[in-house]
Amino acid sequence: MKKLIALLMAVAVMAIACTALASTPVAATELAYKGELELMHFSTSEESEGNGGSDGFRTTLAAWKEAHPDVTLTENVLANAEYKTQIATLAAAGNLPDVFLLQGMNTIAWAEQGLVLDLTDKIAASPYYADYNTAYFTPFTSNGKIYGYPVLTGGTCTVVIYDKAMWAEAGYDAFPSTWEEVEKASEYFNSKNIYTVAFGNGGQWQLNSDFVSTLGNRYTGPEWFANLIAKGGAKFTDPEFVACLKETKRLFADTKLFNPDYNAVTNEDAREYYIAGNAASFIGGNWDESYIAATLLASDEAKFNNIGFAVLPQPADATKAPNSQNIGLGYAVAINPKVAEDPDKLAAAIDLAQELTGPAFSSYCAENYALGGLTKVSDVDLSKFDAITAAFYNWSYVDTETCEIYDSYISSAVWSVLNTEMQAMLNGEIEPEKVAEDTQKAYEENY
Amino acid sequence: MLEAIKPSKKTIFLYLLFPITAFVFTVFFPLLAAIFYSFFEWKNGPTKTFNGIANYIQLFHDATFWKAFGNNIYLVVACLVGQIGIAFILVLFVNSKLAVTKGIHRTFGFFPSTISAVCVGMIWSMVYHNQYGILNWFLKSIGHPELCKVWLNDTANIMLYVSIPLIWQYIGYYMVILFSAIAGIDQQIFESAEIDGANALQTAIHITLPMIRNTMLVCITLCIAGNMKAFDNIYTMTKGGPGTASMVMAMYGYKISFEQFNMGYGSAISVGIFVLSLLVIGGSQGLIKKATKRMED
Repeated sequence: MKKLIALLMAVAVMAIACTALASTPVAATELAYKGELELMHFSTSEESEGNGGSDGFRTTLAAWKEAHPDVTLTENVLANAEYKTQIATLAAAGNLPDVFLLQGMNTIAWAEQGLVLDLTDKIAASPYYADYNTAYFTPFTSNGKIYGYPVLTGGTCTVVIYDKAMWAEAGYDAFPSTWEEVEKASEYFNSKNIYTVAFGNGGQWQLNSDFVSTLGNRYTGPEWFANLIAKGGAKFTDPEFVACLKETKRLFADTKLFNPDYNAVTNEDAREYYIAGNAASFIGGNWDESYIAATLLASDEAKFNNIGFAVLPQPADATKAPNSQNIGLGYAVAINPKVAEDPDKLAAAIDLAQELTGPAFSSYCAENYALGGLTKVSDVDLSKFDAITAAFYNWSYVDTETCEIYDSYISSAVWSVLNTEMQAMLNGEIEPEKVAEDTQKAYEENY
Repeated sequence: MLEAIKPSKKTIFLYLLFPITAFVFTVFFPLLAAIFYSFFEWKNGPTKTFNGIANYIQLFHDATFWKAFGNNIYLVVACLVGQIGIAFILVLFVNSKLAVTKGIHRTFGFFPSTISAVCVGMIWSMVYHNQYGILNWFLKSIGHPELCKVWLNDTANIMLYVSIPLIWQYIGYYMVILFSAIAGIDQQIFESAEIDGANALQTAIHITLPMIRNTMLVCITLCIAGNMKAFDNIYTMTKGGPGTASMVMAMYGYKISFEQFNMGYGSAISVGIFVLSLLVIGGSQGLIKKATKRMED
């Protein structure tokens, strides 16, 4: 009996300790508003397990609710895929919730239709403004006005994760910096029946987000994409972008670098090839990195310690930004303009947005996951993290040059066409020039 | 009907009120709404601009939509042969005197149709998986590794590969319907045919099939209607890919409406699916009736 009581007490102490750990202090601003405030987001409890951004979001949200008991926060929490569909349907019906997460690519269209509140002045007046990483506001800016507080954590969408030991066996101290060298290395890996690089494009979006978005920057440089966003005359049919598509096709269709089923499996399947040792490297996003690291830490510590990070290798005919990787915040906390009819309610919504993206959130993510958000955290103590987490932090935020994530901008209609046609292009059914033409047509019709 | 037990008009009206209201609100109104919205440009927000028949002109020239329609027709033909054809043959086998454990056959045959389409899609994705799939494993086991391939990336045959799970799933469903139809045929007819020396094939073609003609017509209608709106299995397995190789009309409508957020054109696609489905179902019923009438004459 005594043992049982001791066990129960130990569990209770641990539960209290865990609760204490899983909190973060938000500013207890006095709010005049007392009533209901709707919030729609996609940080589900399942998503928050192991995902630093989601965990930080939920933890900060819980702290805000506790600090403001008079505000009844009505949450509608959906998984990301369902969220995207439902928020677009609500937007089409002109029935968006009070506070929601705005995807970068919807900013211009929704701002034009008066669906999102102009927050430029509010953001400038934020007590945390001095610490904001202002580059993150770009996808949520239209005609000089800012429509959201960038939220969650800024993670890369294109990282090469490689097994240092396997590459050392192939004669490489680090992952090659050019595709030519990778092709040379593939002769060794192919002779061992090991995929040189694992990749999954079964969902059609992966090739865009996790590959072409960075490879394109190597050919076009950032100005081209900025021009495309600004409708300044840049085209998908420009020779630099077509060259990127041609190189993509060559790498996937004409070499034996990748797993042969890259077009049929998803990134979730492809990363398992890496974990199982069937592939010497893997290309994916930060979400894949956290999964691979967590899985290997639990199952194969030696392989975990051999994880290395690299940027996408440089193509022979590309001349720009060889050390770049696409990173950013894809969503921002936005506010329905109808909320502004009640100034007190608006103040509550602004306070919520500020805290969800402010120092409470960023500190929590930096301290617990070594991840960064909108608000910069100075002196992140990396010593308490394992070497891989620290290395990924440095790789993501310190050692590499950044470029934009294509599908954070423009229009989903354009990316849907590009993604679908690129999948067919990798099978040799459509030429890169035709893919560029069709994407340009979709761009002109929808943006 | 006896006046004493005939319900009053008011009672009949009350009985029908709920189902008719439900039907009107869930089927009829959305259809009318889709027709209405199909005349608007309605993209990425609540603003709608009347654009006449522009969406229908675009639909008429949309190669992907017509390719998707062609894929639906492929599915219809494959499933008519695969689902109803195989179901009919299996029913004849199970109904034969030699068959044992008929109940088990019925239960296990029906079992796949109780599984959700998404689960079926996932199961078959695993079957087809290049590395871990049972299909490639089997080919390697029998000494034919050269036949292994990335099944779900084979553009030329992808429609066949996505049809197989659909066929597998619904064979049992049609078996149950055909079982009950054949059970309604007087056994003496079969016995007479046997005495007259008819073999199993002759009995099936000249006796069983004509006797269950109406049930067959229902099965064919269900099969066509089901496959004209096919979506979930294929979405789970290929998302319409590679490229648009396994795109079907409902998935294309979904992509336009909820991935590209072009609700106006998405509505026009929905109306297109409705009209084409009616034409295919009506046309096939007309053909069958004509054919059976000729046989009777």
